Amino acid sequence: MKTYVAQRLGIGLLTLLGMSIVIFGMLRLAPGDIVDILFSTGGYVNPAERAAIERELGLDRPVWVQYVEWLRQIVTGDLGKSYRYDLPAWEIIRPLIPVTLELAVLSLVVSVLLGVPFGVISAVRQDTGLDYVLRVFSLAGLSMPSFWLGMVIILSLVAWLGWIPPVTYVSPTENFWLHAVQFALPSLAVGYRSSALIMRITRSSLLEVMREDYIRTARAKGQSGSVVIWRHALQNAILPVVTVIGIEFAFLIGGLVVTETVFNLPGLARFLVEAILWRDYPIVQNLVMFIAIVVILSNLVVDMLYGFLDPRVRYGN
Amino acid sequence: MKRSRTASAQVLVLAAGLGLGATLASAQTPKSGGHLNVMLREDLAQGFAVHESSTISTSFPSLPCFNNLVFFDQLKRPETPDTLVGDLAEKWSWQDSYRNLVFFLRKNVKWHDGQPFTSKDVKHTFDMLREAPDAPAKLRINPRKDWYANVDAVEAPDPHTVVFRLKRPQPGLLNMLASGYTPIYAAHVNPATYRTSCIGTGPFKVKEWRKGEYVDYVKNPDYFVKGRPYLDSLRYVVIKERGTRIAAIQAGQLDISFPGETTKTAAEQLKKAVPQLVITPVAQAVSDNIIMNVKKPPFDNLKVRQAVSYAIDRRGLIQAVHQGGAVAGASMQPKPYGVWGLLEKDLAALPGYGKAEDMKARARKLLGESGVTPQNPLRVEMATRAIAIYVDMASFVINELKQVGIEASLKQVETAQWHAMATRGDYQIGANLTGLGVDEPDANYYENYACGSPRNYSQYCNEQVMKMIDQQSQELNPQKRLQMLTALQQKIEEDAARPILDWKLDYYTVWPHVKNLVPHDNIYNFGRMADVWRDK
Repeated sequence: MKTYVAQRLGIGLLTLLGMSIVIFGMLRLAPGDIVDILFSTGGYVNPAERAAIERELGLDRPVWVQYVEWLRQIVTGDLGKSYRYDLPAWEIIRPLIPVTLELAVLSLVVSVLLGVPFGVISAVRQDTGLDYVLRVFSLAGLSMPSFWLGMVIILSLVAWLGWIPPVTYVSPTENFWLHAVQFALPSLAVGYRSSALIMRITRSSLLEVMREDYIRTARAKGQSGSVVIWRHALQNAILPVVTVIGIEFAFLIGGLVVTETVFNLPGLARFLVEAILWRDYPIVQNLVMFIAIVVILSNLVVDMLYGFLDPRVRYGN
Repeated sequence: MKRSRTASAQVLVLAAGLGLGATLASAQTPKSGGHLNVMLREDLAQGFAVHESSTISTSFPSLPCFNNLVFFDQLKRPETPDTLVGDLAEKWSWQDSYRNLVFFLRKNVKWHDGQPFTSKDVKHTFDMLREAPDAPAKLRINPRKDWYANVDAVEAPDPHTVVFRLKRPQPGLLNMLASGYTPIYAAHVNPATYRTSCIGTGPFKVKEWRKGEYVDYVKNPDYFVKGRPYLDSLRYVVIKERGTRIAAIQAGQLDISFPGETTKTAAEQLKKAVPQLVITPVAQAVSDNIIMNVKKPPFDNLKVRQAVSYAIDRRGLIQAVHQGGAVAGASMQPKPYGVWGLLEKDLAALPGYGKAEDMKARARKLLGESGVTPQNPLRVEMATRAIAIYVDMASFVINELKQVGIEASLKQVETAQWHAMATRGDYQIGANLTGLGVDEPDANYYENYACGSPRNYSQYCNEQVMKMIDQQSQELNPQKRLQMLTALQQKIEEDAARPILDWKLDYYTVWPHVKNLVPHDNIYNFGRMADVWRDK
């Protein structure tokens, strides 16, 4: 197992190196840079002033020099300075991480709490009225864009109740209940959409497993319905669901931009989009690398869970 | 609106020391204390570095931190020479036939870090702005350098006196000094520092700037106006999503809207949902306009440019794009919102303001004379910023042009590339928005129409027009100046240098417990917050 984990981490490092080249290259390929944005806030462009700012920010150096410098900074734990805010990138990024992580985790919890039971019920009650209702429910979740759903929630609340969740971030230590309220709605909006996918995967995976011989054997041996489903069938059907959950979590980290924007939560995803629009290279590069690390680690955790859930899976052999 | 009094009244002005006009906006007795939440639609673009920015996203949230030499009375809506009051200057005096402007500064004013404010700070600020050879500091970006092209020297003969020595008379300089874009920086603070924090003399001190989230201000207990500010604190909240912003003010989580943010439609929705909201229609000093590259075909042809101007039905645009939330005008904001704008009768004779069909017929005729016919249409690419308010306007214009034989395709340009593209002249025709930092012809014309100005995106250069700009700039008699400006505006519209389509209105929204926040007919020059109080 240790060998397997070490191998995966090694491959992960190589993946990150490749990602760094892609991120770095794609950013430079996008038209315009921070200097263009700074001048756009001034409403004009002056070539001499432009050259001076490029020198100040080190953007006049060859691209490969800038890349090597960035790698050196990462390795030494220095994430550089934001071009826009002229502050250490880590100082800006650090407070955003807990917000996005919390929203992603809560959304995932909602999606699993809704998706797995609904998927099981839908599979067990296949082709009944309840199955159709749940399938429509899941299709609706997949069809609704999250920004639309979020906006509908906000507008409905303000129209009916004259109230919306707080528009400035409330930390749990500041006011736990207000914090809970602030995160409940976006988690539900995102979780509902994710639950649709989990529900469908659970349903189809369970239907496949329930046709297996050992399930028929378990029934024949007199096992109750719930034991057959929850102990025998689901345990074997859960692997694809775990994979999807892992993928969803990784997607959520970077994909919450619309939800964070609509609900005005100061998270990574929203800030990343802003940094891209500003061509704030240090922030974008480091944030994308962070998301890449999360994706790699979450895939590793999912694979480790396989070994836990399915005794037939052994790593390192 | 009353025109300003004679020029002689401007020779020596004694400013009220307290910054209160003769009439308070609210008749109630102000209450001290309380907090207000103010809307921001995006994070501060360049921190508090107002001199390195031309966007309201920097200037508006920075206003409470700073003071100017002079400012427009915050309790009066019009911005005219009559409503100028002293800010850091107690009084001022024009001398030597408007060639020297002397300011007598307040005493016992402190910067937020406790350092004393003196004339050295004023000299430092304006030497930096005009890029004097011996300026002690340099701005990284200096968008309003042209405002001070006529300033020959700034002298500080003693700690409380400043003298602006001008190359020639320029009565309009005082208005430019009163713009929200002309605060005084501290000489002992590196100008780069303002990109991350704010050391000012203003009624509020920055407590915290949480990037992308909010700016927190606390009352400045040492503010030079005793008893001000009334409020204990302010929070400027960043909300990027427009629907969420409107919901936030409707739900009462924000007390004050962002200038220029509330359209007529949004205002109607808000008023219906919350009848007690106070909504005031005001002008923004922001115009929709068309830029045409006069150096390249086809818009190097005057007739083609005129045809474009004739083709666009201004009043139709105001209804279709702004639902009536804009007014027609030429290159200066029209009356009653601005001092120098054309009257309705003068507008009627200009391209695009008459009957739509007649105007379009005229456009077709002009195009026909230039070889453009229905069988041989003119094909152009219209560039605009990839922002909804630009795209909406551009779409309307494209449709208007199609009706006269100009086939325009829309090219949306990301903000990062827009100004570089426009400054380089790397376009044919564009749909543009322009904000005027102050209702002062010098600020407008030297920036947007003068030969060689980097913000003269059309690259328009007309010697006769330059002479007219210089002449009006030196005219001391306001009535004569107005006549000159009427002729100048007409000339510019006839030349189709940068056809103005409309001047936008704002439906400024506050909750009724917000008192003494009087919106002006210019989004850049109100919001100091020193006199604002909370009635709850």
